[in-house]
Amino acid sequence: MIGKRRPNTLVMLALAAASCAVTSSNPVWLDISILTGILSLISLSAGLSYGQAGILSMAQGVFAAIGAYASAIATTRFGLSPFAALVFALALPALMAWSVARAVTWMAPLATALATLALGTLVEIVARNWDDVTGGYIGISGVPPIPGFEKPVVFNILVWGFVCVAVLLYENLMDSAWGRALNIIRHDRTRAIADGVAVAPLLSAMLAFSAAMAGAGGWLYVHYITYMSPQSLDTQTSISVLLMAVVGGADFILGPVIGTLLLNMLGKLLPAQEAQGLFYGGALIVILLVARDGLLGRIGYLLSLLRRKEPAEPKPVPSAVTAPEVAP
Amino acid sequence: MSAALQAFDVSISFGGVQALDRASVEVTPGRVVGLIGRNGSGKSTLFNCVTGFLKPATGRVLIDGRDVAGEAPHRIVRAGVARTFQTPRVDLKTTVRQAVLCGLFPTVKRSLMSALFGLAGARAEERELQRRAEAVMRELDMMPLADIEIGKLSMGRVRMVEVARAIAANATYLLLDEPAAGLSRAEQEVLAREIRKLAGRGIGVLLVEHNFSLIRLLCDRVTVLDAGRVLFEGTPAEVECDAQVLQVYLGAAAETSAIGGEA
Repeated sequence: MIGKRRPNTLVMLALAAASCAVTSSNPVWLDISILTGILSLISLSAGLSYGQAGILSMAQGVFAAIGAYASAIATTRFGLSPFAALVFALALPALMAWSVARAVTWMAPLATALATLALGTLVEIVARNWDDVTGGYIGISGVPPIPGFEKPVVFNILVWGFVCVAVLLYENLMDSAWGRALNIIRHDRTRAIADGVAVAPLLSAMLAFSAAMAGAGGWLYVHYITYMSPQSLDTQTSISVLLMAVVGGADFILGPVIGTLLLNMLGKLLPAQEAQGLFYGGALIVILLVARDGLLGRIGYLLSLLRRKEPAEPKPVPSAVTAPEVAP
Repeated sequence: MSAALQAFDVSISFGGVQALDRASVEVTPGRVVGLIGRNGSGKSTLFNCVTGFLKPATGRVLIDGRDVAGEAPHRIVRAGVARTFQTPRVDLKTTVRQAVLCGLFPTVKRSLMSALFGLAGARAEERELQRRAEAVMRELDMMPLADIEIGKLSMGRVRMVEVARAIAANATYLLLDEPAAGLSRAEQEVLAREIRKLAGRGIGVLLVEHNFSLIRLLCDRVTVLDAGRVLFEGTPAEVECDAQVLQVYLGAAAETSAIGGEA
């Protein structure tokens, strides 16, 4: 069932398996692989909201932070198991996204970006100052690891498992009438209304779903690092994941994953952390200059050029509607 | 209450301009009604009031007797009133098949959640949607075009795709906003034939059009608007005989309609 109709999920499974196999022997690689997987998940959520629904959200990292805080607080203060806390890590960001979506989604992309940026700042201020609950500047330490997944090798598999599930759900969605409706909205909202789509509720649901995806990333992050502070997942993260989605190709389901793999892995090869900003900015400029649709868009274009050479150029369609039946 | 799409005494103004002043129009299933008037006479405004894209200040809009004035436009679409746009609003990169599938959205019953989790019901519905899209395309002789990008089609075909998309979800009423604009004479004839066919299937068609020769060819009734008011209502033949209409509208239009085909 997955093979033919869910090609992206199949590729993702292969990628995940490769990533788990290659990195299993080396602790440094394993750490990179785990963090890359978590970032991929948050980047996928940015791809869904921006690439498919056209919501330029600069709050995906913050949604992840809310998920992480929810789980950290639930496990350290209320003694819940990390699995039970996952429910909060998914639900709280989704709830927050749902409630701000109505205010944000009718805005132009730039205004949406600024509004969600402000939301991120607001959440950070609350996290810094609400000492009793979030631990303020000091943060929350001693977050328990996930039972059964304490070993990095096993945790790595869990992370990439989450990424695979996210890709599967994402692909299910895009292969349905709802996914098509989402793309009509991105292209032209008036058109979507004329197709009978209730635009505002669908956009809210999408932002909520993408926030839950980011929340899952936050959940994995906090139980891996076992520490959460206002600097852990911040606006910087939001911008990075958006950048990774755009570099890989935000319109494509696997674009954000490819972008994260590339930027995060290559970024790690740089000698100094300080050079990362330079590297990311350079990557964005190069992508915007040579491949507006991202890497996958560029590859798809090149493939279509190759394919077009083999069969004859499709003839321009004659203008009378009653064209003769063309053999398939 | 009778089966009809009716607008009664609809008024709306933008700033100081009274765009519609107690205008009325009625379409019954199986009939083609023309809505004509000079530029700025309120045709498109009335059209937008009927489809819910504008909320009339006063007046009623009835679908088979139910007042829908002021309801959200996507609900009016779901009540069976489909529309096209004067300038086709299509994503040029999508195929004809995808466009028709988009038109089927009002018939979707499975929830967003079941689509997300790929439940059996949602997958079965998707297969059913694909089948129905093919049925709609077959009916309008579009199967050879199914997998061609809309951007590669001629304007006449793009408009037919828009019609297919609009009626895909079993619309009872179809509102066409200047469908013949930019079409060649041959394309106009094909369009007229298809509109007649739709009316024959029991769809009520409201046609906003400048081209009176097309109106004469197609319409059972014609409503003439002037400065937001209904100037005249009758058959195309009666409209042509009415001195007032001739003076304010056809006098100018008769000359342009001769060359209007290629406009």
